[in-house]
Amino acid sequence: MISSDPKQVKAICFDRIHLEGQTGLEVARKNGAYKFLPTVLKDFDSDHIVDEVKKSGLRGRGGAGFPTGLKWSFVPRNTGKPTYLLCNADEGEPGTFKDRDIMRFDPHLLIEGMIMAGFALGVKDAYIYIRGEFLHEANVMDAAIDEAYAANLLGENILGTDFSMNLTVHRGAGAYICGEETALIESLEGRPGRPRFKPPFPAVEGFYRCPTVVNNVETLATVPAILEFGGDWHAEIGVPNNTGMKIFSVSGHVNKPGNYEVPMGTSLKVLIEEYCGGLQHGTVPKVIIPGGSSTPWLTAEHYDTPLTYDAMMKAGSMLGSGAIIVMDETADLIALTRRLAHFYAHESCGQCTPCREGTGWLERTMNRVEAGQGCKKDVEVLNDAAEHMAGRTICALADGASAPILSLLKHFPEIVEERLMENAE
Amino acid sequence: MTTLFINDEEVTVSAGTSILEACREHGADVPYFCYHPELSVAANCRMCLVEVEGWNKPAASCCTPVGEGMKVTTHSESLAKDREMMMEYLLINHPLDCPVCDQGGSCKLQDYTVEHGAKHGRYSEVKRAVVDHDLGPFVSTCMTRCIHCTRCVRFADEVAGTGDMGVLNRADHMRIEGIVEDALESELSGNLADVCPVGALLDKPSHDVARPWEMTRHKSTCTQCPQGCDIVIESRGDKVIRIKPDKDGVEPWICDRGRYVHDAFRADQRIVAPAVREKSGLVNVSWDEAIQASVDVLKDKRVGIIFSPDWSVEGLASIRLLHDSVFKDAKVAFDLHRRDMREFAFEEGFSMSSAQIVAADQVVILGSDLRQRLPILMQGLRKRGNEGKPVTRIGAMNYRTNSDLSADALIRPREWVAVIARAMQQLKDLGKTAAGMDAWLEKVEERHEAGKLLADALLADSCALLVGEEIRSHSDASALIHGLDLMMRASGHAEAGADGRNLIPEGMNAQLLSAVFGDIRVSAGDLLDAASDGELDALVLIGSDPMGDGLFSMQAKRAMGKVPLVQIGAIAGQTSEFANVMLPAAAYSEVEGTFINMEGRIRMAEHPLRSLGEERPLWKVMMRLVQAFGEEIPVVNLTELRARIESFLPEVSGVWDDDVTDDECLLVARNRDANSMPNAIEPAMSLDVVSRYSMYREGMWVRASSYLVEAGDIHALDDLLVHPNTLKDAGLSAGECKVRTTSGDYDYHIGVREDVAEGVLFISKRGVAGDLSCEVMASLEGGQ
Amino acid sequence: MSEVEQVHFTEQRLAEIDALVKKYPSARSALLPVLHMAQEDFGYLPMHVQQLVADTLGLRLMIVREVVTFYTMFREHETGKYRLEVCTNAGCMLNGADELVQHITKSLGINVGETTSDGMFTVTEVECAGACAGAPVVQINNEYHEKVDASYMDAFITKVSSSEEGGQV
Repeated sequence: MISSDPKQVKAICFDRIHLEGQTGLEVARKNGAYKFLPTVLKDFDSDHIVDEVKKSGLRGRGGAGFPTGLKWSFVPRNTGKPTYLLCNADEGEPGTFKDRDIMRFDPHLLIEGMIMAGFALGVKDAYIYIRGEFLHEANVMDAAIDEAYAANLLGENILGTDFSMNLTVHRGAGAYICGEETALIESLEGRPGRPRFKPPFPAVEGFYRCPTVVNNVETLATVPAILEFGGDWHAEIGVPNNTGMKIFSVSGHVNKPGNYEVPMGTSLKVLIEEYCGGLQHGTVPKVIIPGGSSTPWLTAEHYDTPLTYDAMMKAGSMLGSGAIIVMDETADLIALTRRLAHFYAHESCGQCTPCREGTGWLERTMNRVEAGQGCKKDVEVLNDAAEHMAGRTICALADGASAPILSLLKHFPEIVEERLMENAE
Repeated sequence: MTTLFINDEEVTVSAGTSILEACREHGADVPYFCYHPELSVAANCRMCLVEVEGWNKPAASCCTPVGEGMKVTTHSESLAKDREMMMEYLLINHPLDCPVCDQGGSCKLQDYTVEHGAKHGRYSEVKRAVVDHDLGPFVSTCMTRCIHCTRCVRFADEVAGTGDMGVLNRADHMRIEGIVEDALESELSGNLADVCPVGALLDKPSHDVARPWEMTRHKSTCTQCPQGCDIVIESRGDKVIRIKPDKDGVEPWICDRGRYVHDAFRADQRIVAPAVREKSGLVNVSWDEAIQASVDVLKDKRVGIIFSPDWSVEGLASIRLLHDSVFKDAKVAFDLHRRDMREFAFEEGFSMSSAQIVAADQVVILGSDLRQRLPILMQGLRKRGNEGKPVTRIGAMNYRTNSDLSADALIRPREWVAVIARAMQQLKDLGKTAAGMDAWLEKVEERHEAGKLLADALLADSCALLVGEEIRSHSDASALIHGLDLMMRASGHAEAGADGRNLIPEGMNAQLLSAVFGDIRVSAGDLLDAASDGELDALVLIGSDPMGDGLFSMQAKRAMGKVPLVQIGAIAGQTSEFANVMLPAAAYSEVEGTFINMEGRIRMAEHPLRSLGEERPLWKVMMRLVQAFGEEIPVVNLTELRARIESFLPEVSGVWDDDVTDDECLLVARNRDANSMPNAIEPAMSLDVVSRYSMYREGMWVRASSYLVEAGDIHALDDLLVHPNTLKDAGLSAGECKVRTTSGDYDYHIGVREDVAEGVLFISKRGVAGDLSCEVMASLEGGQ
Repeated sequence: MSEVEQVHFTEQRLAEIDALVKKYPSARSALLPVLHMAQEDFGYLPMHVQQLVADTLGLRLMIVREVVTFYTMFREHETGKYRLEVCTNAGCMLNGADELVQHITKSLGINVGETTSDGMFTVTEVECAGACAGAPVVQINNEYHEKVDASYMDAFITKVSSSEEGGQV
């Protein structure tokens, strides 16, 4: 059980995750699921909920870190159009695997969070857009939703109140870009997932041009605790402006890769050494990618950086989705960069010129560099092509694609140089 | 309104305008590929980046709305580098085959490469190659050149309404593809080559024929339908290479009929020299000999004249002058689709502009295949449909419109009167009436439920009625049109003594024709019958082909050969077999002249192409004939002729004095008091005959164009179509059937389609079953 | 497109699709789920199956084509009975995914992207599966296998090959 004392909180989203049988409604209820829901539906109103979430300081856990309460407050009321709530479960950022665990181990937590968010936003139809590969997770969610309908937690007049909401699991079909919220909306409308330009923002014109809120799984799973214990309670966890707990997915060269929910502000070093059992080789990492493959690299000098949105920004990177990829001295950084270049070239939706053409150009150039067939000019080409993609496209995929290239060239010019010299010899 | 600064200059634009549009309005040059003023915004080319003060990255100006006080910079060092990089991204996979590309010389990619591109490319990897595909006779592809701006896809979705272009795959495997069986489905497909900013989609008929800088451009007016679009004819020397919409014109698009008819300008069927029939056939002679031969054939004879309405205003007026000088008693006809010769109130043409129709709250299409008949107006209705505005249709066939209609009712022609009566009744019950409406209503007992759709639409604040060929060619047309006028008045859309509905006319110049020929014209069918029955001694056809066009081909075939024929025109056609004399008159692309479209909009063609041979403008041919008949020549130059036209039609006075042609429209007010009442027609046979207007088959020019003939074959339907229940009622099945009419029995292949009204025999292929068009009713019997 | 093979959804499938369509504001939203169903029913999505989906949902074929070609999980061509999809993205790569791919392709005697001649196995490299703690990850017909090594794959291949020969699946 989550403690009502913020100092004692060990976990929010993962609080009941390892309990036996938690995917079933009966067990989940025994463990506290939906306990506070009747109070929310009967005693809270929309403004109060939005205020509590604002007070909590909760920031979107999908990657951008936008304040959730503020996002909700952008939704226009009384437009005559329905408002939709979409849960972004298209977890595809390389290195991220946290939402999967929430869904497969504690699906009712997400459902409860969505009912509360849906209630606050006046939503009649909500959808969970889950990446197509997560078939098992989709099945777990579907079964939990069926049980929730049967128990009048979803559907018409939930728990005897005036509030009615439907919830549907919608599987994607293999496209990283659908994790971008407007691409997700396009995909949910039965189209290729090509991001829309903004404005208009989804809060005003989203799913079928109606007001729409898109929230990450972890964000929505945090809502029940915030409403039960209050926004102030949540705001005291972590550090100012970076409040609450955060799940970090740690992978790569650590001894115990996995998901760890820790208070915001815990340092990278503490997370890796105390939770993940340290590095596979050596004591200091060569490269840390702190927020998923799209975020700029950090090196040993930033090993002590606290895990907050602000500190990561200051260190020159981003907290992103909390996907930490750790590389020790054995990593072949050129091969890794080439592999990531391939990823972005494969996943670009193709609509914007610089991304469509630039990602392929970077990949082909990296292929050559890795194979020892590069030349001096390639450094300039890689720099130019990567730099002029970022910030020039509809969505941020191009920024993500440029990050590994620019990081490699910035932090490890000598490694690149060395590989180019092989050719010269 | 929003005030902002573009390159330090303060400008004010309407709120919600994009930065790019604000820049365009105020002459600030911003490069772009994917933006197109007529299409939705895609924002994918990223060429239109500008800087906004206080923003940390450049903004795509096409999709960024202006903000109050915004400071926009369109040129800077960093933007120059961005544009250089954008060009480099685009060019890494572009084949750079400009020397063999038709687009070269009018290519945005080429122009911007010069303006914004780097001196050298740095790309040293393998280039992408993309498979081409066959999109039919009008558009050729070279998809390796494609820059994925998706203009063509948006055009197919939003303008053509066919959705047959799409984007496949993703990343740099992304490619544009069409799903077509034999050809793109749209009647506007030729515009695809224009919307493509590079050489990926090209005009197929002019492919590999000429380069942009070799061509001269002639502004003109298309006469292929009453819309009269503004066009630019591009020619190399005197040879027309292609026709495009005029960028400064009213409409951004032209249809395939108007665009691809140009090969007819040089077709073998052109009449390029005067000719006289001798034993061996038609023999070219001098103008003097041919004129003399005409006089020999026509002098002191009872003459019938049938002409096309598509000649210039000057040409048409000169026909009247010929009539008045030489053939005072001649029968004259120009309309091949009109059976009811009682007066139509206000005659023909539109009472609203296309823009007003598109903007109206309600639009009702009455008995027309509008997509084929007026493709550009239909495009306007499709656009309003995309915005969710209603379009209602009542008629004999659910013609494909490539847009969603809000209401659709299938009726057969004999039911029109009951449809109108039902609508009238509804208005009357609501206390809405007009002088004469009760009398009209009393004549009709039946009510047809489809009338509710019509009345409901009329009850809106503004309503446009488009009256099509099914009503125009109805035997009770005058009464039906009067009924519609009464309802427009009753529902407050038109005042008493004013016209309300929009009657789609036979061709161009409707207002002029009714003013100039209203008092002397007869039915073309009657005129031809008179020739067959010995009541006429000779026929003169001026650019008209009653054997190939319209409702009277059977009468025309009977009449041909019975009496001598003088054929005057630009295209020979099948009537030339019977011509005793042929006089060449210049085509619409080859004259200085004036044209009035269905809305009354006046256009002047001023820089004609040179004629191929010995053609003369029609008015000169007419005057030469007057002279040869020994009469005084009424006018000797265009100025005098135009002065005479002003005496026929005072509304045009002044149009030739100004250099500028504005968009004000003429409205005719003839036959104000026409008030035809419905005739009780006892249906003699079980089926109503309705014949299709096909944009790929109707008209002499079109039949002389190999491109359009090919398109016509691709888009053809079965010869005759009926609703399955119609066959069932007759106890028949699809296939060979006997069609019984008052004029005899004919064997035809009958096809089945659910979108034909029950009880209608639909003639979809004039070339094969066209002669049935002269029938109003028929019945079906089993095959032999 | 003249000689088109005729395919149909079962009545049960059609009922399922009807129910599914009602969950969305527009039938078009059901396109991805219905394509998943069609792929389950027909194995892959050749043109005539795409046409069936278009007709069933009342969509233009081009709309279906755009979606099928955009998403990697939709397959326009037949594959082996077992699709061995190895994640080779960052987390898995750092834990031996490339070597694993080499091992599998070598032991099956095919290249990445190919199918064994008996139609049993297709090997592909895929992007991050979202299970990096279990790197390297192999998805076999949509089922996740985590911390996979060469001997695990050998055992799997041997097991399904022999059960196949024995006539059991």
